[in-house]
Amino acid sequence: MTRRTGVFVCHCGTNIAATVDVKKVAAELGQDEGVVFSNDYVYMCSDPGQQSVINAIKDHDLDSVVISCCSPTLHEKTFRDTSAAGGMNPFQCEIANIREQCAWVHKDKAKATPKAIKITRAAVKRVRRNESLTPIGVPVTRKVMVIGGGIAGIQSALDLANAGFEVVLVEKQATIGGHMIQLSETFPTLDCSQCILSPKMVEVSKNPRITLMTSSEVKSVSGFVGNFKVKVHSKAPFVDPEKCKLCDDCTPVCPVVVPNEYDLNLTGRRAIFIPYAQAIPASYTLDEEACLGLNPVVCGKCKEVCEAGAIDYDVKPKVTEYEIGAIVAATGFDLYDKGYLAEYGRGKYPDVLDGLQFERLCSASGPTGGQVLRPSDQKEPKNVVFIQCSGSRDPENHCAYCSKICCMYTAKHATLYQHKVHDGQAYVFYIDIRSGGKGYEEFVQRSMERDEVIYLRGRVSKVYPSKGKLKVMGVDTLSGKNVEIDADMVVLAQAMVPSKGTAEAAKTLKIGRDKDGFLAEAHPKLRPVESVTGGIFLAGAAQGPKDIPETVCQASAAVSKVIQLLSKPELEHSPTVAKVRDSHCTGCEMCVDACPFEAITLVNGKAHVNEVLCEGCGTCAGTCVRAAIDVKNVTQLQIHEMISACMGG
Amino acid sequence: MFFGKLKKAHGKVIINPNWCKGCGYCVKYCPTDVLEMSKGYNAKGYHPPQVKAAADCRDCKFCELICPEFAIYVTSDKEEEQASASA
Repeated sequence: MTRRTGVFVCHCGTNIAATVDVKKVAAELGQDEGVVFSNDYVYMCSDPGQQSVINAIKDHDLDSVVISCCSPTLHEKTFRDTSAAGGMNPFQCEIANIREQCAWVHKDKAKATPKAIKITRAAVKRVRRNESLTPIGVPVTRKVMVIGGGIAGIQSALDLANAGFEVVLVEKQATIGGHMIQLSETFPTLDCSQCILSPKMVEVSKNPRITLMTSSEVKSVSGFVGNFKVKVHSKAPFVDPEKCKLCDDCTPVCPVVVPNEYDLNLTGRRAIFIPYAQAIPASYTLDEEACLGLNPVVCGKCKEVCEAGAIDYDVKPKVTEYEIGAIVAATGFDLYDKGYLAEYGRGKYPDVLDGLQFERLCSASGPTGGQVLRPSDQKEPKNVVFIQCSGSRDPENHCAYCSKICCMYTAKHATLYQHKVHDGQAYVFYIDIRSGGKGYEEFVQRSMERDEVIYLRGRVSKVYPSKGKLKVMGVDTLSGKNVEIDADMVVLAQAMVPSKGTAEAAKTLKIGRDKDGFLAEAHPKLRPVESVTGGIFLAGAAQGPKDIPETVCQASAAVSKVIQLLSKPELEHSPTVAKVRDSHCTGCEMCVDACPFEAITLVNGKAHVNEVLCEGCGTCAGTCVRAAIDVKNVTQLQIHEMISACMGG
Repeated sequence: MFFGKLKKAHGKVIINPNWCKGCGYCVKYCPTDVLEMSKGYNAKGYHPPQVKAAADCRDCKFCELICPEFAIYVTSDKEEEQASASA
């Protein structure tokens, strides 16, 4: 086998050249069998660097190329494209990583240089047995699923539909709107949250390209980028949204009252209810768990009074299967569990609220019609203490991260309170004020100066009831004094955590989570809206704490990535997939079990690889006891020769 | 407990122990689990039911309907009944 290989060694400025004698690497490799050209250049990825590769391919009639440079995750694609431009099959180009795996981890040039030579030589040995491959074409389904109907999901669905794509929007709750619809006003402009969100919700319901699936959850996802098969389980819709006339005849007769989760349990609701006036779909919902029993003999009072005949207890839950090209995961956030905040009396004293409950109190559609009242005695609180970083920025006891939005919403809460209760006084305990954003800092300053909110830099050690008030024991670190406040109400800015279903959703979608449980992006800087799994994108607070403008940005960014993916006529799949030698295969099925992508099946007693599903990970090749499976261009013979090249000399 | 005037419907369960034949239907089918079988005997030698969670009765009258012996009935508790329909 005579090959004509070219070796190109990159200096990467001083990244490689400081630790590796690149000229020596090039000269040494030039002596190797089959290497007809070798060279070094200061930045191989620069335009002149790439041009030198193209020229060498043409001038020396090269049939394979080894670039000795940084990690293949950075520049494999660059140099494969360069090789193709030189008229070579791109899969005859291999990368030898002498930066991350050599120069960056060593200091001694005398030892690093021979190692770089070995790494490069191994790549030369490998490329000698490379096959010329062509990417596998994969058809694309031009339909997108958005999981989560908060502002991130709504924005994604609308952007996609307006770009001409069919969208399926899946929401776990009975209505879309998420946490944003629970908010009263939004910072820093103090415009009404419902007023800006409800037009978008109506748009979702009216858009013919959007299929809205409420009270539904994604139960399984199979397939791959461009061709997912998604099963969605929907709860039984006992009230037909088409027939429901919103007359409210059903709620007065319902004998049950349970806490209303849309008002954060500040009010009650019936078993049959509408979450709020702006709910989409605009219909009452029957809560199966709270209902006395879906049996007209047991109760059936709502069905009796429903003149529209919208209620049917015999409807069954259903499973719908969709073929989907790409998925946007926008599963949102929850507040940090109140059980962990016992020192502040959260969950113990009724007048210790969380941020969302305070939003409901301030909201015109809330339990008090926008009046700030204490839940315990329904009187107006005159001293309100806001405690920031409740559960955030406390690596020892709670979450280590900053929840990012609490400084701003606490400033908003304190401002709103001062606007509503003129003789009241708001106190804010803070660690730092983090108000990066357009108009944010000015907003916080305004709350201090114009609205006379008292900011105290320090933490609160304890909240306990005393003489009908809540005694807040804190410290003001700027004056160095202990502070005691007799508060009527305490509001905690609880940390943002991933929503309850996030772990399960990540498992179903086969995407990663970070150390705090948020959905993990593929690259923190350069690929912030993509998951590591192809075709699955992230939007909103499911990926990390963020405010509304950021969420909307991210949703639109995820959509642009989806459009990029789905606007191609067909997707390209890497051809470096597993290949079975039928003569060696005994059909033992060990590879079938080992394959993490379910790409291998048994056909006529032999393993068969679905090339489109195969990611070329090589797990099957490692498992096969008879060496019947090889991954193209990473065959066992190639690996053997690479190891020999590293060990020898 | 909550803001607002929403009140639960409430009924009072009345048991006539001597008519009971201890079938246990009322205990089994009560949707809010108000009843339990008592340890005592009635004149016929059966265990009649007794109220264990009176506050949970939602006045659905299912026990009344399901009792084969007409031994149990529910009266609507007007005081506790929902005062307002403003849900």
